[in-house]
Amino acid sequence: MTGFLITAIVMLGAMVPAGVVLCRGDLAASVVAYEFITSVAVMVLALLAQAFRRSAEFELPVLMAMLLFGGGLVFVRTIERWL
Amino acid sequence: MAASIVADILLGLAALVVLLASVGIAVMPGAYAKLHFVTPVTVVAPALVTLAVLVQAGLSENAGQSVLALVFLIIGGPFLSHATIRAVRMRETGDWRHPARGIKPGEEKEQ
Repeated sequence: MTGFLITAIVMLGAMVPAGVVLCRGDLAASVVAYEFITSVAVMVLALLAQAFRRSAEFELPVLMAMLLFGGGLVFVRTIERWL
Repeated sequence: MAASIVADILLGLAALVVLLASVGIAVMPGAYAKLHFVTPVTVVAPALVTLAVLVQAGLSENAGQSVLALVFLIIGGPFLSHATIRAVRMRETGDWRHPARGIKPGEEKEQ
């Protein structure tokens, strides 16, 4: 296993505590945990693409990073206005 | 060989940052305190991962796309953090502005 793959696995493990907060915390804490998890997911996708040497899959983290911003803002505005 | 060692050190640091931030997210009370631990994950750890890809792959297409993802994270992270704090404060007080500055919570709620 390469260092990139091991790091991706460690980061996937680091999502677990944030996942617990996402499921069991209040609404505001859940949104923060969601932002944390999506940020880690961007790195995991980049690490896996490099670990398996698949250039085409490097587009996934780029898209995910863009969607993290847009999706997060939608969640936040929804909380601010309607929840 | 040296590049591989440097990349592994950078990846280890990135993993450590993410693990510590994860503990912070789980342990700290309230959204305000938890949000502090999102910043290292949106800025520091992606920078370390991008450096590791640069060291390992050199100036390649992969490294370029990693840099692009890093730029999106660095630009979007502070905006998202600010919007989150604002939303949480509006949920709690009805208005994001400080009540001591003449605007009482809920008095002039933004539409």
